[in-house]
Amino acid sequence: MKALFFHAEKCVGCKLCHLACSAQNEQVFNPRLARLKVNSRYKRDGLEVKGQTCDLCMRCVEDCPVDAIVENNGRLKFKEDVCTDCGLCVDICPPQVIVKKERGIGVCVQCRSCSNWCPTEALTFEEVNK
Amino acid sequence: MAYTGTVLRVNLTTGKAEKENLNEQWAKDYLGGKGLAIKYLYEELEPGMDPWSEDNKLILMTGPLTGTLAPNTGKLAVASKSPATGTILDCSIGGHFAPELKYAGYDAVIIEGKARKPVYLFIEDDRVEMRSAEGLWGKGAHETEHILSETLGDVITMAIGQAGENLIPMACISSELYRQAGRGGIGAVLGSKNLKAISVRGTGGFTVPDIRKVAAALNKIKRDDTMTDDNMWAYSDGTPVIVEMSNSTGILPTHNFQEGTFEDFEKVDSEAVKGALKAKKACFGCPLACGNYVETGKTRVEGPEYETLALCSSNCGIGDLEAVIEFNRLCDDYCLDTISAGNAVAFAMELTEKGFHDFGIRFGDVEKYLEMPGAIAGRAGIGADLSKGVAAMADKYGGNDFAMHVKKLEIPGYEPRGTWGMSLAYGTADRGACHMRAWTPPVEAFEGGEMDPYTVEGKAEVVKDMQDDNAVKFSAIFCDFWALSTERMAEVLTMFLDREVTAEELTVIGERVYNLSRLFNEREGFTRKDDYLPKRIYNDKMTKGKARDISIPLEDYDRMLSEYYNLRGWDENGLITAEKKKELSL
Repeated sequence: MKALFFHAEKCVGCKLCHLACSAQNEQVFNPRLARLKVNSRYKRDGLEVKGQTCDLCMRCVEDCPVDAIVENNGRLKFKEDVCTDCGLCVDICPPQVIVKKERGIGVCVQCRSCSNWCPTEALTFEEVNK
Repeated sequence: MAYTGTVLRVNLTTGKAEKENLNEQWAKDYLGGKGLAIKYLYEELEPGMDPWSEDNKLILMTGPLTGTLAPNTGKLAVASKSPATGTILDCSIGGHFAPELKYAGYDAVIIEGKARKPVYLFIEDDRVEMRSAEGLWGKGAHETEHILSETLGDVITMAIGQAGENLIPMACISSELYRQAGRGGIGAVLGSKNLKAISVRGTGGFTVPDIRKVAAALNKIKRDDTMTDDNMWAYSDGTPVIVEMSNSTGILPTHNFQEGTFEDFEKVDSEAVKGALKAKKACFGCPLACGNYVETGKTRVEGPEYETLALCSSNCGIGDLEAVIEFNRLCDDYCLDTISAGNAVAFAMELTEKGFHDFGIRFGDVEKYLEMPGAIAGRAGIGADLSKGVAAMADKYGGNDFAMHVKKLEIPGYEPRGTWGMSLAYGTADRGACHMRAWTPPVEAFEGGEMDPYTVEGKAEVVKDMQDDNAVKFSAIFCDFWALSTERMAEVLTMFLDREVTAEELTVIGERVYNLSRLFNEREGFTRKDDYLPKRIYNDKMTKGKARDISIPLEDYDRMLSEYYNLRGWDENGLITAEKKKELSL
């Protein structure tokens, strides 16, 4: 099973991953709707580069009270018709990469838009638990 | 939609912030960025208006591609009437401010008036607040940004440091600490309005038809046309790569433009900068990531860029990279333009060494050099003189022939005697001596350049074409580090505008924008007499390097300038003819 990995030392903070994700999955240019969080910011003690990506930990699948998020062949799938908008998955997601939308949520579906756009290979798909 | 269609007009005198519709016709004629900002200023500023007065305006202008996946479109135009030169002034600042403003719902912000007490502007989508900045006044831009981030959360901020507050005519604006709207005293305009900072958070988005197809097409362009060998120097080296190129061709300003080669250039070249490199850093949406975040044991900066290395290292005789990095950091924090500051320090050094006036600072004096940013920003000691720029220093102490400026804006990092096209580029740049309107070294001085660098033949046409190309590029807002064709620009714009954009149309827009900036200056009284360089360039010969024993004969420069005016459709005095105005619908 492969998941998305972030390599901070390669990230240049261009946000193309955020934008590619929102364009592909929400059909809008809005980095805040990306299903990953990559940030490269200057803090008081220097540059801080942080990335949070879905590592397929399955907490959302396990905890969703109505089974609106399921795993299928190593990919997450969201079922909007059964979702009750309770927001539990958004709260408990360890890397905090589930996006709350007006109706329902968005999970990383491994479309690879982010890694396809990343200019420096800071995002890669690799075997989990290898 | 490519444009949000909304302009935010903020009046600091009345405290009112109001939305208005973007002028669609102007957006069509001038695209956005540089051109559209200048159009608003041309229409809204009274001719002869004092740029220090509250009647001056400051415009933040995005472009039609801002916030999209179009590569290298993350920059923002910041424009005003320059308090340093009295000309039109537009700066280009990188980072992440521009897309954030667009996501907040605005194509532009027009700032008018003057706050009674220091304020900062906080824009969060529809919410616009002028908040007290009395606790921030007196602080550097870096501390200001940190405090605003801690207060407001994930915002992007543009701020001024002490130089802007103190109305230093070489004050810049900083964003994300190390990105600047640098030249012409743009930061002093903020200071004159008692506006310490602008923070923005935009949570909205926008879409275009067939967005997935558009994204796929743009990703292909990014791979095949942006991330190519022509452009990847930005990632592998960044602008410090130019140090060696300039030095070997004799155009690296050294000791206040007395020479064009620097014996210690290897201490500050790209390899030296790489020795301190910690991370590469990009503006929003940029796959080229030219930024070099460097750390030494004692200091850190994102930089130093080539211009800083040229003006603050070789031009001041400082072959000490750590000192240059610290000087750079101080300038970014106080908010001083490193091109003008480096020039002022170097001019003081030469005036001292030549006996015009003893500033107590000489070429290579690292200790005094590092005191200068603080002294200039605070007008302390000799900083009071230096803060006024080299033209004012020469008025007071002499040395006019080697006060390196055009229209009172200090000259950037390409010694024109070794690349003659740059003399015309500096002479006719709209905001005073600037290297971003036309940049000729690649076609005449650097390896692969096919023109003879030491002749004026053919240079008028090259400079005119480059100025027009860059005018449209900075209006559509593509970063100049993507060497894209006008055809490519048209292709990308067509994806986002509801019309077929052609390369021919863009060429006309570029010419229109450049002429409008000239028209603004013409209205302020600028004519041919203002398009000249200091006499050093015409009379003095350098003694070392590839361009030794060469100066540009004044009669050659005159001939080139006349040829340029003729190509432009301007008269012998540099005034735009009625025919040209009509042709460009000005």
